[in-house]
Amino acid sequence: MSLSLLLKVMLNRKVVTILLLVQLAITLALLLNSVLLAQQTHQQLNRPTGLELEETVLVQLKPTTPQLRTYPLLEDLLQRQLRALRNIPGVVASAYSNQPMLTQGGNNNNLYDVDNEERSNIPGVPTYFVSPDFFKVLNVDVLQGELPQHSGFLDSETQPGVVLTESLAEQLFQGQSSIVGRQLNLGPVSAVISDFYGQRMHGADEVMYNSMQVAPPYSVDWGYTLLLRTEPGQTTAVREQLTSVLQQVEPNIEIYYIRSLAEQQHQLYRNEYGLAALLTILTALMLLVTMVSSYSSAHFHVLKRHQEIGVKRALGASKRLIFIELLSESWVCTLVGAVLGIGCALILNQALAQVISLPPLNWWLPLITSAILLFSVTLATWYPAAIATRVSPATATKAL
Amino acid sequence: MITLTNLSKIFRTELIETHALRDVNLQINEGEFAALTGPSGSGKSTLLNILGTLESFDSGDYLLDGKSVKGLSDAALSQLRNEKIGFIFQSFNLIKDFSIYDNIELPLRYRGLKAAERKQRIEQALELVGLHARRDYLPAQLSGGQQQRVAIARAIAGRPRILLADEPTGNLDSLMARQVMELLEQINQQGCTILMVTHDPDQARRAGRNIQIIDGQLHDSTMYEPLATQSA
Amino acid sequence: MEQFIYYLKVSLLSIKRAPLPYALTVFILSVGLGVFFANATFYYQLNSDPLPGKSDKLFFPMTLIAPYQCNDCRPPRALSYSNVQKLAASDIPSAQAAMYSSAGYARLTIDQPPTPARVRVTQRDFFQMFEVPLLHGSVWADDNAHNQVILSRSMALKLFGRTGVVGESLVLDDRNFSVIGVLDEWQMLPRLYDANGRNHLSPTEDIFLPLETGYDLNYLSNSYSQTYDDTDYRQLATEGRSGALHQLQYWVQLDTAAQQHDYQQYMQSLAEDEKAAGRHPAPINNQLVPMNEIVDYFGDDPGDIKAFALVTLLFLVVCLFNASHLALNRYLSNQYEFSLRRALGANRSQLQLQMLADVLLMTVFSLLGALLIGYAGVSLMNALLPQNSLFSTWDLTLITALILAALVCSYLVTLYPSLRASFGSLNQQLKE
Ligand SMILES: Nc1ncnc2c1ncn2[C@@H]1O[C@H](COP(=O)(O)OP(=O)(O)OP(=O)(O)O)[C@@H](O)[C@H]1O
Ligand SMILES: [Mg+2]
Repeated sequence: MSLSLLLKVMLNRKVVTILLLVQLAITLALLLNSVLLAQQTHQQLNRPTGLELEETVLVQLKPTTPQLRTYPLLEDLLQRQLRALRNIPGVVASAYSNQPMLTQGGNNNNLYDVDNEERSNIPGVPTYFVSPDFFKVLNVDVLQGELPQHSGFLDSETQPGVVLTESLAEQLFQGQSSIVGRQLNLGPVSAVISDFYGQRMHGADEVMYNSMQVAPPYSVDWGYTLLLRTEPGQTTAVREQLTSVLQQVEPNIEIYYIRSLAEQQHQLYRNEYGLAALLTILTALMLLVTMVSSYSSAHFHVLKRHQEIGVKRALGASKRLIFIELLSESWVCTLVGAVLGIGCALILNQALAQVISLPPLNWWLPLITSAILLFSVTLATWYPAAIATRVSPATATKAL
Repeated sequence: MITLTNLSKIFRTELIETHALRDVNLQINEGEFAALTGPSGSGKSTLLNILGTLESFDSGDYLLDGKSVKGLSDAALSQLRNEKIGFIFQSFNLIKDFSIYDNIELPLRYRGLKAAERKQRIEQALELVGLHARRDYLPAQLSGGQQQRVAIARAIAGRPRILLADEPTGNLDSLMARQVMELLEQINQQGCTILMVTHDPDQARRAGRNIQIIDGQLHDSTMYEPLATQSA
Repeated sequence: MEQFIYYLKVSLLSIKRAPLPYALTVFILSVGLGVFFANATFYYQLNSDPLPGKSDKLFFPMTLIAPYQCNDCRPPRALSYSNVQKLAASDIPSAQAAMYSSAGYARLTIDQPPTPARVRVTQRDFFQMFEVPLLHGSVWADDNAHNQVILSRSMALKLFGRTGVVGESLVLDDRNFSVIGVLDEWQMLPRLYDANGRNHLSPTEDIFLPLETGYDLNYLSNSYSQTYDDTDYRQLATEGRSGALHQLQYWVQLDTAAQQHDYQQYMQSLAEDEKAAGRHPAPINNQLVPMNEIVDYFGDDPGDIKAFALVTLLFLVVCLFNASHLALNRYLSNQYEFSLRRALGANRSQLQLQMLADVLLMTVFSLLGALLIGYAGVSLMNALLPQNSLFSTWDLTLITALILAALVCSYLVTLYPSLRASFGSLNQQLKE
């Protein structure tokens, strides 16, 4: 059957065709954008973080009495906890930090080169106050300078040295070579380490600016973090002991959560993940609805046109031809719908981008999703088309 | 060109068996114009359908151009219908979403003819039935007689060897019916074999040969046309 | 009425004749409505007005009175203690309260295990301004420091196992407090007074502490807190009161337009005075945001729900198209019956009544389906987007809206096909 004839037939059944086209178009638009969102979430989860996600475990906790939250008792508590963690078999290194990494916002500070405050000032740099083994836990590379070996004090006259991540150092000093020893508002630069992902800022791009000082935190009123890295494969075994070990060291604590960094990262993208999952479910429903509609439209068509199919058979159309004719009617409809749908998808993409972050459409996704759509429609039309081939050519001679 | 030997057809439903045709023997020669008459329910349409390979039969044999149609595949039967047989139905059976032109083109497309060839044949057929001016109309925009002429054009555009017509004038008034009859006679004169079911004795008389069927059994007679060929 | 029951029977009969297309129609309509309804629940609740009639009278003032040199910048999201003192000197507002959120551990005696508690550090007008219902006792007599707390109902139950605990004492972070009030069940949704720290989607606090006490005892803010000088944010009691430590939310009630105007004037002249005194280096930019615009002002509307709302609306449209398509098919196959009925002398209005019966049945079925799917959808969204889970309840307005939506959709789905079947095609049918 020729394309022009198919189109003519479709034009004759305007309402039904338009209904089907609108629906196919919207389905494709949704399908496309949810695939896009799912893809983005997947990418976010797979983006390099500079961290060993599986082997690093963090415990977020807070002492439940005010005394334990103030020095010197706090210092003592931190040391006792670190010692206990180190003694767990399978633990490679352990450290404390005022906050975890891979979080939405958190403790941060503005940071600048005191010689050049105007140009170098960066607001909202995540600031970590950590124990010396922090770097060993994260397993980062030292690119310049030397890591501080001993804990300083934030409240003392001499500011403890500042360790910067590579991209932060780059941004602060704009490619100057020797930056170790340079004075920042928080203290002198003592080392530069490889990048890791600290905080996700509201509405900002993913940057790996982080500054660290080896010193006990100012305050743990928001809780603090114990970090540990395990030998590969030991993570589960270590995690199981953590609660009881920490409770044994000090019962007056509240443990908010224990997570591997992988879980922490998942948590960070929980919203995107949830939305992508919801959209995927919605898309599945949508495809189902489209399939029902293709099915019913084809089925009805067959029922309504028994006579016509009979006539065609009498005029020499074979079963195969009738089958293909019906399928190609669906295909033409789907393809037209897909073209419209890609237009709708662009509009929807822009509308969605106003409220959530969403990458723009690329060229191959429309092809893939159109193929999915075509496949579903074919599947749904198969049965009615098969029924159509069973129409006897003798039907043609029966009067209406 | 058509030979039926001991052909029987039984319709089986849950309740009853209908012997629509019993041991029919029939020979139709090239170029004949035969009328098929008989009371309602006697099996006329059934016979016509079997001749047109629209329906299967239970026993006996059907030779078309010396070849049995028994055991042919669906594709082969379709091709046979498409190339050798033309149909005209009582209720016209035009496809209502298609224009006149598209309707006539349909069997030619099934045959896979080239566009130019199709066009030429359609023009010819339309010329013959005198509806050239209405080629872009939809069937619903034509009168019954005109629709039937379109159906005839569709049937002959493929230049079939045999034309099967089931009460082609059944839905038409006498004037229209006469026009259609004249058209069929003209086609017959061009060499096409025609087998036509009719209730109209006048029409039956105008045909070269009259085959009567009563209760599924054949009573061949040539009473109206002494010149017609006698056959068993 | 009897006539109508007859029509209902006829509808049921025609459903029985072709149950699959009807079931598919209802299914599709239910899916569309259910999904839409699930999302509408969140959308409606998240955008609902927690204090109808009052949300345009409560204002969130912000100023740039801070040692902060900038051009074209918005004022900080929160005020410092001294900012609040300066603003509170005005007696234009009918009520005013400064506040922030914190956390602590509560227990009855020191040797009991601690219960984590969300703490709101605030002033006495808070309860009146936000219409907080008090079950027992009273609020603080004034805005001075008191070792007195007000408990939420659930906290009282958790700690004491009962609500009538006014006069009892408890230990909050190792210090003794007496309970002077217990709140009734209260959940302000969304909790707009906490919107500046993006916390308006979380549940209400468990313990309410006087602002001065919170500062005295160094209860640190656990949401938004920013310093513009070298104030040590841990020393609330001392530096925190004088330095540029911005962490206070401040709400004023301005009932009339005149009050609002006066207050704006007051803020303007305050800023000018401060500028003259060198304590306001940035250009003046005062904000007085009414509560019903606060989320927009901070631009923190959760986009996912909005995005999803758009998508589910589209989905509903698709389902409507689809269902009417299905219904059209169904009606066309019943066309003969329609023609027959008309031939038997049914007039327009009788056919319309028949259609109404069809619509009603369709509404009932699709409503049931929509409720089921809607419930499943809400549960799913709670699991996948847990931060919105407080906003998943159905109230009378929502249910009514759903019923109306189901009715309208059923009507739309039935209207076109039945019109076509009953009026349009008689002529065409005879032609065929
Ligand atoms: N598909 C079928 N199933 C069962 N019985 C059938 C079927 N088609 C025809 N018959 C029966 O076969 C017999 C012959 O029918 P047929 O249609 O050939 O009659 P006819 O001679 O064409 O009658 P009419 O002049 O009324 O068109 C009738 O008794 C009819 O009831
Ligand atoms: Mg007949």
